[in-house]
Amino acid sequence: MADTSPKVCTVNFGKGAQDISVYKSLGGYSNVGKRLFDLSQFELIDLVTRSGLRGRGGAGFPTGMKWSFVPRGGKPVYLVVNADEGEPGTFKDHFLMLEDPHRLIEGMLICGWALGVRTAYIYVRGEFLSAVESLNKAISQAYAAGLLGANIGGSGYSLDIYVHRGAGAYICGEETALINSLEGCKGQPRLKPPFPAVSGAWSSPTCVNNVETIMALPWILENGPEAYAAIGVGRSNGTKVFSVSGDVKRPGVYECALGLPIMEMLESEQFCQGVIGDLKGVIPGGSSTPVLTTAEASDAKLDYESLAAKGTMLGSGAIIAFNSSRNVVTMLQSLTRFYAHESCGQCTPCREGTGFANRVMKTVVAGKGRDTDLQLLLDLCEGFTPTTICPLAAADAGPIESFTKKFRADFEAAIARNPERAEERLHPNFRPGAFW
Amino acid sequence: MSNYYHMPKLPSADSLRVTINVDGKDVVVPGDTNLIEALRSVGIETPHFCYHPHLPLSGNCRQCLIETEGPRGMGLAIACYTPVRAGMKVATPASSPKVAKARKTVMEFQLVNHPLDCPICDKAGECLLQENYMQAGQGESHVREDIGKQYHGAPEHRFEDTKGQDRGGKDIDIGPRIILDEERCILCDRCVRFMRHVAGDEQLYIAARGDHAFITTFPGKKLDHAYDLNTTDICPVGALTSKSFRFKHRVWNLQHTPSIDPTDALGANIWIDHDGGTVYRLMPRCNSDVNRSWIANSTRAAFEALSTNRLLDGRLQGKTVTRSEALRHMMEKLQSAKKVALVSSGHLTLEDNAAMLSLAGVLGPRAEVFGGSWLPVAKPDGIALSGDPVPNRRGVSLLGIADNLDQLVSRAAEFDVVLLAETDLWFADSKQAKALEAIPNRLVLSAWDTASVKAATCAVGINAWAEVRGCMVNIAGRLQMMQAAPVSPVDALEPAWQTLSHLAGSDWNEVIEAWKFATGICSPLASIKYSAIGSSGLQLPPSGAHT
Ligand SMILES: Cc1cc2nc3c(=O)[nH]c(=O)nc-3n(C[C@H](O)[C@H](O)[C@H](O)COP(=O)(O)O)c2cc1C
Ligand code: SF4
Ligand code: SF4
Ligand code: FES
Repeated sequence: MADTSPKVCTVNFGKGAQDISVYKSLGGYSNVGKRLFDLSQFELIDLVTRSGLRGRGGAGFPTGMKWSFVPRGGKPVYLVVNADEGEPGTFKDHFLMLEDPHRLIEGMLICGWALGVRTAYIYVRGEFLSAVESLNKAISQAYAAGLLGANIGGSGYSLDIYVHRGAGAYICGEETALINSLEGCKGQPRLKPPFPAVSGAWSSPTCVNNVETIMALPWILENGPEAYAAIGVGRSNGTKVFSVSGDVKRPGVYECALGLPIMEMLESEQFCQGVIGDLKGVIPGGSSTPVLTTAEASDAKLDYESLAAKGTMLGSGAIIAFNSSRNVVTMLQSLTRFYAHESCGQCTPCREGTGFANRVMKTVVAGKGRDTDLQLLLDLCEGFTPTTICPLAAADAGPIESFTKKFRADFEAAIARNPERAEERLHPNFRPGAFW
Repeated sequence: MSNYYHMPKLPSADSLRVTINVDGKDVVVPGDTNLIEALRSVGIETPHFCYHPHLPLSGNCRQCLIETEGPRGMGLAIACYTPVRAGMKVATPASSPKVAKARKTVMEFQLVNHPLDCPICDKAGECLLQENYMQAGQGESHVREDIGKQYHGAPEHRFEDTKGQDRGGKDIDIGPRIILDEERCILCDRCVRFMRHVAGDEQLYIAARGDHAFITTFPGKKLDHAYDLNTTDICPVGALTSKSFRFKHRVWNLQHTPSIDPTDALGANIWIDHDGGTVYRLMPRCNSDVNRSWIANSTRAAFEALSTNRLLDGRLQGKTVTRSEALRHMMEKLQSAKKVALVSSGHLTLEDNAAMLSLAGVLGPRAEVFGGSWLPVAKPDGIALSGDPVPNRRGVSLLGIADNLDQLVSRAAEFDVVLLAETDLWFADSKQAKALEAIPNRLVLSAWDTASVKAATCAVGINAWAEVRGCMVNIAGRLQMMQAAPVSPVDALEPAWQTLSHLAGSDWNEVIEAWKFATGICSPLASIKYSAIGSSGLQLPPSGAHT
């Protein structure tokens, strides 16, 4: 069955649009000229605001509003495209860059013009070598075609784009850690405020947007904000590119209008074509988002508001479906190991807490869990969630809290394997009330 | 760490005062600072590890949480990074159980992987982790033996202890002066920021991530810098400790006497840490206007001299005599002298030099006072050394004493007595000093058995800087006071002012008498009382030297 859902970012998939001539023949770059440069910065920001486009990197912050925070007329403004894509389950940005790199460049030209950017960066996750090659090839084609560099199309506007390879740290997807890493410093989040829009790279105003966010711009400029806003539901306008993996027949990258029922994504012929085995749960938006049980997933819709109402998030749109053959306890432990490993180690609660939580999970997986462990995990999450610099610790709490609550029986069964599970065994160093 | 950083704004005397509401009560605080400092100004201490008033803000320890109004109502925020805003609402644990709980939680996380080896830790007693635990911790811990710990440490330093637990690094020789205990490090980043932003030589960094992170030097490099011992002061725990002090003395047995760097004209504020008459170490004393929180390693080393090579009695023609014999000899020589050269000293206090001027007054026209130093002057290092090794040079000139040692050399033949007090001319420039050997009577007052003592016809021991109370004027014209620590090696020693007053026949008993004499002859000091100088000194008006 043909895919009938609206396409904004993936429209050129499979068409060989990596080559500029193909991209142009499909209508690419046609607006980079009078159509774009006749718009004032204000009009362009207003246009994006009216489209209802929200950031696709995870937080869903309205893009037009973010742009409006960028101060003008002072220091240079930088655009940094966030292509770090580290969230477990997410792989859409990788494919977007492989399949349609010129759309990203065109989107950057639009954003660049809107914000008066002269220098832009694409911060690509270090492992994405082929994406870096694809981008670099496209960028040199765009320079050759006069679409990048000085005085683009005689407009007087100039833009340079650099591809920066990260070193593969999840935390470098967090925008301020990304900026530190871009500057050559250790990739650790900065204290906020100031936010990057006001003071980011080299203390200058910096707009950080996800690959997908930027790639929606050419379509919005071409078809108008109203057409974009007409797609989707409520305050979730437009389309979203989902990375679907796990126990489905046809995992992959799919774009659809926001508001699609999650089960339709999993079962429809045009998307994943059905679940393998009997569905046990779905992670809807990347590993940081709380898991949904089959019952919850049955009527869940893929948009910001419906998922928030279910106590979870759209996140980066990484759907991981798993069936009843999967061991949720080891699944959770692989996630806690991930967050403990990826904590930047800067702030105390996250540094020590995510590692602690992982050690607890390790004992549970090893059959040495205790009756008090589930409460202990919840206490740890409650402890580190509100006290850290960035949301990485909270991202660890998402799966911990939801998995242990929603699949409690599995966890209790894992703990029940330990004959000494009921014994209280405090660390000798830590008897309450004693100092050492 | 980022390339861009914010220094904390510290309140000053002319800070605008604003009203904020703390725990439901309106209080007036300095308006241009952060909440840690503002709360401190009204007597509320906020537990913290990473915050240091003289280092860029880092905000990583999360111990200083308070609640304040944000976009979504009252919420947790770190006090160190929250600026004061007039009218803001702040909640501390006194009114907010949420803050109390959050601090307790952070403290628990801080201790999760800490070795808790306080009994064998040299920092115990002055450890922020201990202090903050008593203030903000004391909760029930979740740590369990079977879950184990992830002790901090570099992979190459890890070892398995007798219980089979994987341990971090202990007793690591990180540089010529410092020992690192990686396990104790709480990764607060203070030492890194000190080396980067104060020392200006980034030698330390935190490697790796998460709870595998550890503090280290760059591969193959050591921690070695003229200010590196400051990292042992600011390290909130016993991770960085000084080789010279560790295991020498338990800190709770130390008494602290405020003093001034005797080795440099910046007059860095210091503490003399002593017990039972022995000085164990010198520590920086915070003064935002002078040395902030830093002193050079060379300043710290000054305590070693206090028990080395001291002159405790008298010398007459190279033979050891009692102090009173030496003094009697000096008195006779001064009385019978035709012409006396009195050499003042920038290593002595204003009081000591005033006593010398008083002696000159008693001797009348027979006496002439000289001043100056032949010690080489270096460039300021921008941290806590001015480069001028004469701490009270400015004070001496303020008393109207000229920098004219060269004249003394050229006119040596005119004098039959020269009296030097704590200025080692034979050490500073033995060639020039040779000319003074033409003077038949060379009388020397000195705390140490110096080259000048050897060249003297008669010498007498006096108290060293740590043992006296008195004032100096630093290179920037700041009047600062040193207090006397009870560490004189023998009770009989006297401060220079007192010995000089004996020689003048005036027998002052209290240093205040010398001070009154100084204020009487020196208009910039006129009517300044000791109590006005305070612990952080008094900036004198920039009118320049008085003659
Ligand atoms: C721990 C962490 C990891 C993140 N990783 C990514 C990422 O890989 N890619 C991304 O686009 N945004 C990531 N973000 C979100 C970014 O901080 C930022 O919100 C986003 O790039 C903004 O772009 P947008 O407004 O277009 O979504 C991450 C955030 C956090 C806290
Ligand atoms: S929450 Fe974790 S990842 Fe974020 S700044 Fe703190 S230590 Fe780093
Ligand atoms: S060594 Fe001390 S000062 Fe340095 S990071 Fe560790 S605890 Fe902080
Ligand atoms: S003192 Fe505020 S976070 Fe460390």
